[in-house]
Amino acid sequence: MVSTSPFPEKIPSIQKAIAVLWPSFATAIVATGIFFSAFHPKDLVPFNLDIDVSPLAAYSIGFFLFWLLGIVSSYATMYFIISNCQVLNKQQGQFTK
Amino acid sequence: MQSQKTNTGEQGLYAEHKKIYPREVSGYFTRLRMLSVVVLLGIYYLMPFARWDDRQALLFDLPARKFYIFGLTLWPQDFIYLAALLIMAGLSLFFFTALLGRVWCGYACPQTVWTEAYLWMERKIEGNRGRRMKLDKAPTSAAKIRTKALKHTVWIIFSLWTGFTFVGYFTPIYELGGRLFTGDLGPWETFWILFYSFATYGNAGFMREQVCKYMCPYARFQSAMFDSDTLIVAYHPERGEPRGSRRRGTDFEAQGLGACIDCNLCVQVCPTGIDIRDGLQYECIACSACIDACDEIMDKMSYPRGLIKYTTENAAEGKGQHILRPRVMVYATILLVLFGLLVSNLVLRIPLELDVIRDRNTLYRETRDGLIENVYTLKILNMDEQPHRYILRAEGVDGLKLVTDQEEIFVEASSVYEMVVRLQADEFNLEQRSVPVSFHLQATDANHLSIVEEARFLGPGKT
Repeated sequence: MVSTSPFPEKIPSIQKAIAVLWPSFATAIVATGIFFSAFHPKDLVPFNLDIDVSPLAAYSIGFFLFWLLGIVSSYATMYFIISNCQVLNKQQGQFTK
Repeated sequence: MQSQKTNTGEQGLYAEHKKIYPREVSGYFTRLRMLSVVVLLGIYYLMPFARWDDRQALLFDLPARKFYIFGLTLWPQDFIYLAALLIMAGLSLFFFTALLGRVWCGYACPQTVWTEAYLWMERKIEGNRGRRMKLDKAPTSAAKIRTKALKHTVWIIFSLWTGFTFVGYFTPIYELGGRLFTGDLGPWETFWILFYSFATYGNAGFMREQVCKYMCPYARFQSAMFDSDTLIVAYHPERGEPRGSRRRGTDFEAQGLGACIDCNLCVQVCPTGIDIRDGLQYECIACSACIDACDEIMDKMSYPRGLIKYTTENAAEGKGQHILRPRVMVYATILLVLFGLLVSNLVLRIPLELDVIRDRNTLYRETRDGLIENVYTLKILNMDEQPHRYILRAEGVDGLKLVTDQEEIFVEASSVYEMVVRLQADEFNLEQRSVPVSFHLQATDANHLSIVEEARFLGPGKT
């Protein structure tokens, strides 16, 4: 990756956004499916709080939580790769001077 | 294997996106693709309205946690079947890719299908390729705003219908439609209709080939399923080169030219904006629009067709075609085995489940008659679409007594029945502190509906 993308700052932001949002979206669908096959939303109300949420609301909130987790992970991955590239570019710049 | 051009390969990621105006095309493969688009969209938009018995034929009822697939009702416990179906879908993709290349991309992928539909609306409203390009370049005018507004209105209406249909796969669509007209939609139903509409509008109206180029994982790894006998869309440089324009009817060979007249139509019709004459590229979704475009030109020039055609790497090199090869056989075998397992499991599936939960508060208690008693909560899941009556018995200890308040247990179709039962045993018959017992549940009206569930019976043990 590093050698083929020497200028990560040139990647358009829209493509960065897609690279973060899209894989986490797909993962969230799978995670939501597996999670709610195993657990019924009514067993999950935290701390036995007496709140009334419809199943559809519970699944939707669950989906967005999974998506959020995926976004955090994907963003971290992208951040590390891009910052590594920038460090490498800097070092190479120093050597050529 | 996939030979990727270096100048449009990975570096394409950093290029500014140029809007692609695919030129309209006609011909055999275009008709085939349109047929596929119409059939697939027809299935998508009509399926939720299909009925089976007294319910929606295909309904993934999330609130009720039941999936209705025609005659089959799947419960969360049947998750394994869905997983198997997904694995089979993946394997089918491998199998068809190895055999036919990217037919999925060109004919069946929702991205292609909806893009074609949106492109069709765009053409009807804005006109052909030349007019669309001219319109986009033209300065803002009332006419331009009117045309664009009309296009987006039509797109948005179609998107909303698409989103409504999507939610109709998860909520009974007739009720959903009723609530839509009375303005009674739930907040999450509304949200998902809008979400899916927006996704359709964005993907099919604007993102189009960029989804295939930048977002689709299959486009990246499909080359792993390719070999030299996989069907590809290819230009034949040995026949076409050197390309160049010429007068019709002149002897091009005498002029030192190949069959390609360099009309650029194959580039103009390409929905991903590539030049097939540069060789196989990962952007190519094998939609075969360039084949139809080129064949038409070949006809006009009275040259034989097939300068661009479906072929395989081996066939192009004159090595013949091999359809049955190890890779294809392996994919086919795994697919068949999985299919067999799935079908036999579905046929043998017993739509009945019994969960036994021992009362956790007390280990055991002694009755007035001096018997040791354990309390259990039973959950009977009648996953059948008919109601049933069941008889319950328990065994595992000599003289074990089952105490319930009902002889026969009646459970409604597709529902869960919860009941508390007590087991009583004489202390002398209990060898250990904890002995295994089993509950046997048998339907009175159907022999095959029977199930055994193990549990533990706790007592003081031998003293």
